[in-house]
Amino acid sequence: MQPFSTDHALTDVTVKPGLAEPDDKALADRVLRGRDEGAFRALYRRHTPRLFQFVLRLLGGNELDAEDTVQDTWIKAAENLEQFRWESSLHTWLTGIALNRCRQQFRRQDRNWLAIREDLGVASRNDRPHERIDLDAALQGLPPGYRTVVVLHDVEGYTHKEIAERLAISANTSKSQLSRARHALRSRLAPGGEQQMRVEQ
Amino acid sequence: MTSNDKSDLTPAERAAFAALPTEREPSRVLEERTVHELRRRGLLSKAGRRSSWGRLPMLAAGLAAALALFVSGITVGQWLGSRAVADSMAAAQQENALELAAAVQRAGSAYVTTLTALAQLTDSSGNGALAQGREAALTALYAAARELVLLAPDDPVAIAIRDGLDRRWSAAATAGQADVRNVVWF
Repeated sequence: MQPFSTDHALTDVTVKPGLAEPDDKALADRVLRGRDEGAFRALYRRHTPRLFQFVLRLLGGNELDAEDTVQDTWIKAAENLEQFRWESSLHTWLTGIALNRCRQQFRRQDRNWLAIREDLGVASRNDRPHERIDLDAALQGLPPGYRTVVVLHDVEGYTHKEIAERLAISANTSKSQLSRARHALRSRLAPGGEQQMRVEQ
Repeated sequence: MTSNDKSDLTPAERAAFAALPTEREPSRVLEERTVHELRRRGLLSKAGRRSSWGRLPMLAAGLAAALALFVSGITVGQWLGSRAVADSMAAAQQENALELAAAVQRAGSAYVTTLTALAQLTDSSGNGALAQGREAALTALYAAARELVLLAPDDPVAIAIRDGLDRRWSAAATAGQADVRNVVWF
């Protein structure tokens, strides 16, 4: 399919010269009070690229599932916007909703998606030692539970306490998961024994 | 959200994580899909429309027109009908290219889904109904190809579909089977 034009007119959120761009709360108020489509589109365009990358990474690179999840996230957010108290940023709130959608998906596939697995260190080594794979590809190869903790901690910067709250696990479990996940990741990235992750140029 | 537990990552590993992209654009259709779904749920109103208060006079006028239709019969009904068509056309004119592209995609999905259902239908309706469905599908395909040629006069695929169907129906007409093209709505 050909890419669509990106010159969609945002008549309702056009920023006049000298005026600051409306912040998230102002735009959200317009969505709430006036069901303002232009304001929603502005919020969508501001937050979706980061949200989509987050979801895509959590779901192991499945773009179709990631798009469905992002759509569900926005719908859920729009439905509950009135309840949002702005105690965190809109991005954090959206990320939380998206994370829950991803968890539901993992649970549908495997009830024990967060279980610690002992068999990954060697068994999941890259079968082709002459090829080094990049970090994102290695993350995709991890089981969902490991991937989730690594993405939240090492990519998104969450603390173990925050991860524990969001995944309804203890902080110690989060630490164990992370430790094992990193071990599995290193194993995948360094089949020849070099334990280094490649920096993509 | 800052983490203080990155100490067991090597500097190279930290650099590798830091170098991961943080943003990625999904397909442009996703925005239209999402907006469409929110509109359908009543959470958004179409951009540029007046608020529901602003539309009250229009609603009142519609009610009055409906009463007039009831009282005045078919003549007023015909007038209102033509006005509704004109209103729909005007609304279509106001759509932007991106929304129309998304609408084409939805219509295309519905077209293919319906054809799939037709293809899988057990023959309970008889061959006549299936043939009619097939003919309707071909007529729609022809009309779409004709519009595509107008949109992109050099598109060889659209030209081939249009001309192929033209030839098909010309041959049928020559063979005295002009009545096979019995679905006309364009």
